[in-house]
Amino acid sequence: MTPVQPKLSTDDVSLLMVLIDTNPFFWSAANTTSLSFSKFLSHVVAFLNSVLLLNQLNQVVVIATGINTCDYVYDSAAAGALPNQRAESLLQKLVEFVVKDEQLGKEDSVDGIGSSLLSGSLSMALCYIQRVFRSGPHHPQPRVSVNGYMHSWTSFPFHRYVAIMNAIFSAQRSMVPIDSCLLGAQHSAFLQQASYITGGVYLKPQQLDGLFQYLSTVFASDLYSRNFLQLPKPVGVDFRASCFCHKNTIDMGYICSVCLSIFCKHHKNCSTCGSVFGQAQTNAPSTSNQKRKTPET
Amino acid sequence: MPQVKIIAKNFMDMVASLPAMKLDKLYDNAFICEAILRSLPPLAKKYVLQMLYIDEPVLATSIHEWVLADGESKHTVAIDRLVQLRVFIETVDSGVLPREPMPSTITVRLPSLEDLEAYAAEQWECFLLHLISSGQAERTTNFSSSMMKIFQRGLLSQRDKEAPKLTESGFQFLLMDTNAQLWYIIREYITNSEERGVDTADLISFLLELSFHVTGEAYNMNTLTDIQRNVIKDLADLGLVKLQQGRKESWFIPTKLATNLSISLSDLSSRKQIITFLQQNAHPRVAERIPSVPENVTDQIRLWESDMNRVEMTPASLFDEFPSRDVFEAACDFAREYGGVLWEDSKKMRLVVKAEILGQIREFLRRAKYMVTIFLLLLVETALISDIILNSDWEKDLPEDPTGRFDDFEDFVESNFDTCKWIGLLIVLAQGCSILLATVLKTLEKDTGKHYDSDDDYAAHRLPFVNNSVHPLPYAVADFPLPSKSETWMIRKDSQ
Repeated sequence: MTPVQPKLSTDDVSLLMVLIDTNPFFWSAANTTSLSFSKFLSHVVAFLNSVLLLNQLNQVVVIATGINTCDYVYDSAAAGALPNQRAESLLQKLVEFVVKDEQLGKEDSVDGIGSSLLSGSLSMALCYIQRVFRSGPHHPQPRVSVNGYMHSWTSFPFHRYVAIMNAIFSAQRSMVPIDSCLLGAQHSAFLQQASYITGGVYLKPQQLDGLFQYLSTVFASDLYSRNFLQLPKPVGVDFRASCFCHKNTIDMGYICSVCLSIFCKHHKNCSTCGSVFGQAQTNAPSTSNQKRKTPET
Repeated sequence: MPQVKIIAKNFMDMVASLPAMKLDKLYDNAFICEAILRSLPPLAKKYVLQMLYIDEPVLATSIHEWVLADGESKHTVAIDRLVQLRVFIETVDSGVLPREPMPSTITVRLPSLEDLEAYAAEQWECFLLHLISSGQAERTTNFSSSMMKIFQRGLLSQRDKEAPKLTESGFQFLLMDTNAQLWYIIREYITNSEERGVDTADLISFLLELSFHVTGEAYNMNTLTDIQRNVIKDLADLGLVKLQQGRKESWFIPTKLATNLSISLSDLSSRKQIITFLQQNAHPRVAERIPSVPENVTDQIRLWESDMNRVEMTPASLFDEFPSRDVFEAACDFAREYGGVLWEDSKKMRLVVKAEILGQIREFLRRAKYMVTIFLLLLVETALISDIILNSDWEKDLPEDPTGRFDDFEDFVESNFDTCKWIGLLIVLAQGCSILLATVLKTLEKDTGKHYDSDDDYAAHRLPFVNNSVHPLPYAVADFPLPSKSETWMIRKDSQ
């Protein structure tokens, strides 16, 4: 048994965590554009099938991201092997998930326009990957593929921002690349950063009808092949952060030294973690451009 | 587990080596498709997935752009594998002709098809005249004299200071159909293209491309490369194309000769050649008759040809004065085994074999002689030993030794009997080993004789390990090294 195992780890075996956005607000808006959710799903299912086809040890896990909850909808290690069963079980689980998501939305009071729980699904994916990592010394090369997101920066509540950033950094630490395929109208500086930091691919397809071609060309490449392939390079990654108070994109600002929240103006205390800030030091005009904040407690 | 890997690899190699038809049939099965896809190198899998829904051919250069410089070797391996398995099929862009046809807006008087044919025939006649007798042609051609020399080689023979004479093949050349003549010249032209700094492959592809142009249409010269322009000037001299100078641009018009380039001739027996030639070049008044060549003439030619075919020439070797009947019969059997016996006379012990198995039969005879010697030696040895063992007082048979040295030697042997016994055993053992080794070498050597026809190219590398040099045998008196073709032995036999 032992001589085979090193072979597996160097091969193109991969574990693909696919995060799909089921945000009804986005999809209802996108219905007017070229791609409907059902079409999107058919592209994604074909993509999942082709990934599973490439290597019998490949594993695919799909996590649906709703507004109020997120859940595993498909795991190729647990589901049946036949392609028909795959699609069926995935769709069935997805319907159940959407219903559950809707019910949860009715119970809770929705705070404004719902945004997808990307932080939750990212964390779930990373947990799953950690479990695989710890299962043994030899495991497939995991990567996370974030699919079909259209999130606008402004709709993010602050606490989610922190959770997402934490998830991204933990992905970076465990060397898990995050690929993002953005279907929205605008670029997402946030997913750009996520892919850039973790060494994944960020892509915003121009022709949504040919989504499968994008998925199979770019996102199906295993980590081993990526060393040799010409993949979309990050051009003009927006590294600027947005402040938490007015959602402005800023070059310079104030940062909470406890929770790393960003503000464009000086505040008395941090709106995220509640730390109390001291006075801005005015006695050092030469270093005033690097504004340092120190919490008092 | 590793062995399984090896088997799987071999299995895929086996699949890859299948003929195209079978391979294509295999791909009807979804499981085989899946298995083959999974057996591919990672990069190749990627390519397959990527090209899944692409119906049109993809340029090799654009596929090449998918990889980074680091992956060059892997890319090559992947593409080779895919082509080998016929997952990718190489196609050459066979869409529109790259040559720009003359736009219909330009009103230049194009020659009619008849004019063009007449022009081609005239050019070709002129070239032939030039070829056969360089002095007689009224027009000079674009071909350099060295090029002409190359064309003339084989067709004309020139002894110093004399006028060149037509050789037999030159005569045949003149009898050939125009297309065949053209092929001959074009072939010479192609084989010598390297010397003129033209790539052979380029030239051939250009010529073939030319043969697919439409006769009588004008094509612009501006799409041609410099080399192709030079080639087209040569071709104009042969009558393959007609050059036409427009106001600004120049055009070339392929003639019938060019479009017929890809027609090849099958039956080139001399009889048919002559009759066809007679039919083609008959006087117009004779040509009206049916048949244009009288039947008695064609029959006579046919008779003449069959008479030529009645006698078959085979280079041969005669073996004579065999030392014994056994050797002669063994040699006959050996030659028969190779299918090389032409004639044998068992009374006078003579054998005639085909020249191609001469080397093998020589080798065989020498081996036979060698084996006889060995056998005799062994026989003598056995007789001596049996005499010593059976005859109890064999010592008395030895002659008297007056010097007494023999007695001294005998004493020495008796005093060191153990050592001598071992030495004796060792000698016998060494002898046995040598014979065994010789037999092994012989059997190994035997295989070199029975190689396939296609191995002829490698025959030089397969000389036997021992007895490499070939010595003439004393009893092969008539051993013909075949000095020239004209002096070969003729074996007459009735072919019908």
